[in-house]
Amino acid sequence: MAILEIKNIMKSFDKTEVLKDVSFSMEKGEVVSIIGSSGSGKTTLLRCINFLEKADKGQVVLNGEVIFDGAEKKKMTSEEIRRKQLNFGFVFQSFNLFPQYSAIENVVLAPKLLAKERPDFKHNKEEIYAEIEANAKRLLSSAGLETKYDNYPCELSGGQQQRVAICRALALSPEIMLFDEPTSALDPEITNEVLKVIKSLADEKMTMIIVTHEMAFARSVSDRIIFMDDGVIAEEGVPEEIFTAPKSRRLKEFLSNVRM
Amino acid sequence: MQLFTKVTLSLFEGLGVTLKIFAMTLLMALPLGLVISLGSMSKFKVVKYPIKTLIWIIRGTPLMLQLIVFGLGPGLLGVRGMNMFVAVIIAFVLNYACYFAEIFRGGIESIPKGQYEAGAVLGLTKTQVFFKIILLQVIKRIIPPMGNEFLTLVKDTSLANTIMIYEITWNAKRMMNSEHILWPLFYSGVFYLVLCGIITLIFNYIEKKLDYYKG
Ligand SMILES: Nc1ncnc2c1ncn2[C@@H]1O[C@H](COP(=O)(O)OP(=O)(O)O)[C@@H](O)[C@H]1O
Ligand SMILES: [Mg+2]
Repeated sequence: MAILEIKNIMKSFDKTEVLKDVSFSMEKGEVVSIIGSSGSGKTTLLRCINFLEKADKGQVVLNGEVIFDGAEKKKMTSEEIRRKQLNFGFVFQSFNLFPQYSAIENVVLAPKLLAKERPDFKHNKEEIYAEIEANAKRLLSSAGLETKYDNYPCELSGGQQQRVAICRALALSPEIMLFDEPTSALDPEITNEVLKVIKSLADEKMTMIIVTHEMAFARSVSDRIIFMDDGVIAEEGVPEEIFTAPKSRRLKEFLSNVRM
Repeated sequence: MQLFTKVTLSLFEGLGVTLKIFAMTLLMALPLGLVISLGSMSKFKVVKYPIKTLIWIIRGTPLMLQLIVFGLGPGLLGVRGMNMFVAVIIAFVLNYACYFAEIFRGGIESIPKGQYEAGAVLGLTKTQVFFKIILLQVIKRIIPPMGNEFLTLVKDTSLANTIMIYEITWNAKRMMNSEHILWPLFYSGVFYLVLCGIITLIFNYIEKKLDYYKG
């Protein structure tokens, strides 16, 4: 069974149709990269999947359960949306770390707040917090940040900040990670340190959707590539096909314009 | 020497009144300012526009005029026994709440949307996002303009003397007139300088405390 199914998603801002009937599905452990020129709707698609944006039409199905249905008249409460968002980890192009918290505080903030909802929280508070902190340290270390726990975002390079942001998302053990151009705000020479972390997640069979302009990376890490053009999925296939035998004219044009 | 003691005592009496206006204004205008700022950002037009109009009127007219309106207006309309001190507090609270509201609004609106979104995707409730993520960042950003308002308020309390509130400036004027001397005026200036100096030190301290991070 597919872990995630996107069915006929449509989204307009005012009069402009940004997503025009987008459908795809993915299996558990699969890595899907979304490529396409700027303005083609990649970010909007990711945002519609995890409720940062509300699609006008279509469905999002997670593990067979419809978690979003554009035809549903009843408005979801913010509590319902919050619960559903927790299925996804989201990594922003601009990191969006919380500047007043150190690296490790950024990572433990949400898990600690969430732990308060656990029935055994009162009795095991100390242990639960210790566990959360140990987990945060483990995540940060595996992202090469073992010396940066107590540094504030303003003391970290862009690449380090983005790695903290990835750890922060992972700390909630999401089912699916969504990356929106995680390296676009970084200098070319430090994109690799972030890509390496994402690659290691792929090796651990994390289910991921990655919007990226790093074609070589997309090719090496992905099980499947989706090419978006003007609000539709113009072409989709395994990396070999997409990069060596593109079918549509638009994809050929796109690939000839980007650096490989 | 006796005269000096007399003037000093009189100014200290005024200081008590000045501090009372200062403290009561802050105590009420800060929370009211927060409410007004939230109202001015409301998505409901029936809330937003009346509040924007109120802010426009209060910030667009002299505080002195507002003091006179609240101090003498009720009497002219036939309301008896309006307490002048209450009138002063109403005028100051309303006036300062509107200025604070604009500072709060500026601070809140200056926080990037990404901070709210990052909180949301991490499963924080709206309340948690505000208190755990947004609030401290807003405070850090509004400390400098707030410091200015506090200093202005110290000096604005002297306007209360126009409707017979016996604060520092009123007492200085009384001494000047009754003893035919000028120096109590300069002496009263020292009181304001010291108050403003203390406030400046406190705000510098808070700014330093919040300097541990940038952004
Ligand atoms: N909040 C918004 N309001 C209005 N238009 C938007 C908004 N977000 C995105 N758009 C428009 O939607 C189109 C697709 O944007 P986006 O999804 O960011 O594309 P991509 O990520 O592929 O560059 C663009 O034309 C953009 O201007
Ligand atoms: Mg984008």
